[in-house]
Amino acid sequence: MVDLPLGRPAMVLVSGSLALLLSLACPWWLQLDGLPPNWLVLWLLPWAVVEGSLAGALAGLVLGTLHDSLQDSGLTAVPALVLLGLWWGRFDSARRPLERSTTLGLLAILGSLGVNLGYALQLRGGGPLPVLHITLAQSLLTGLLAPPVCSLFVLIWRRRSTRHAR
Amino acid sequence: MVLGRQFARLADRRILLAYWPWLLVLIGLLLVRVSKGAPIVDLYALLSRPFWPGTAQSEWVRQAQRVEDQQRIAQLELQLEELRQGSAHPAKGKAGIRAAVISRRSEGWWEQLELGAGSLQGVRPGASVTGPGPAALVGRIVSVTPTTARVALLTDPASRVGVELRGNGSQGLLRGMGTSRPQLQFLDKDVEVQPGDVVVTSSASSLFPPGLIVGVIQSVDQQAVPAPQALVQLVAPVQSLDWVQVR
Repeated sequence: MVDLPLGRPAMVLVSGSLALLLSLACPWWLQLDGLPPNWLVLWLLPWAVVEGSLAGALAGLVLGTLHDSLQDSGLTAVPALVLLGLWWGRFDSARRPLERSTTLGLLAILGSLGVNLGYALQLRGGGPLPVLHITLAQSLLTGLLAPPVCSLFVLIWRRRSTRHAR
Repeated sequence: MVLGRQFARLADRRILLAYWPWLLVLIGLLLVRVSKGAPIVDLYALLSRPFWPGTAQSEWVRQAQRVEDQQRIAQLELQLEELRQGSAHPAKGKAGIRAAVISRRSEGWWEQLELGAGSLQGVRPGASVTGPGPAALVGRIVSVTPTTARVALLTDPASRVGVELRGNGSQGLLRGMGTSRPQLQFLDKDVEVQPGDVVVTSSASSLFPPGLIVGVIQSVDQQAVPAPQALVQLVAPVQSLDWVQVR
């Protein structure tokens, strides 16, 4: 399952596009109270922990910019994703244990909280929006999906990574 | 001088040759950002086409369009007759474009729809979007790509629409609250309003054609300062919209 017949650049492109397209698609069976998981966080977490801080921050910049272009609210996820990429990238060099699914789930929850906190700060508290409801529902769902999705992608990126070449 | 030297070093052909793939990526990224994600949304429209909503609601839209066309023909005939008699009025209204809702983000930090019709089908930014029933306003087109269009919903926190009560004509501003029921802030202190009153787009609005039905007053707060406020139940609920009409 991990050995997909795709090279590393193609895999990055396909999986990154999939994360953006899923942000648009929001299938109802993957929503919690009308809110989808944060697909960007689910993609960025395994990428950053395998490839390191610089690659994580760059991926956060690219993904955030592309995701911002898919909505007209003027809000941006770029700063939060870049910071998350930098932070998660340090887990690789520090050789902290990541295979435990609870760790990935917890990191994804914190990542989703960070992105939503970034939006709330840009709206100076969220305005009339139910900020707590949005943040908690999305973070919980992202944390639930993170163990299977991120574990799989950690394995995929490690197989293809030049940093982990055997 | 130092800056000039640094710039000359940056513009060195060897460096440009070494980093040209990254420059291309950067330019591509900027183009996607400036085009408001047009390549991604068009790709999404292409891939999701087999899963677009069924034709049941589309048929309602078509029927509504047929009734509207008949009214239009009657209006044109009347206008022709008036022209013959030398007392014509300018023509009103035009046929809408039916479009499937291919992406719905009606909860969260922004509330918008993506439609499966774009500039190739004649959709233009600023056009009004109505539900399948009788001219019930849903939102406004904010950007278009060749095959898709993005709609800012009335429930979006950034949405502000001038509206009035049908009947007594009390003017107000409809503000999106990020929930399914936007808030109506009246402009005057003394307003005769009660639950059940119909809210339509204002004749003073420059964004929407006047008289489009928006919703029904659900509850009123007469004590609000500086003027009464009301919650409005929209006639076209976004969650159940599969097809819309762009006018």
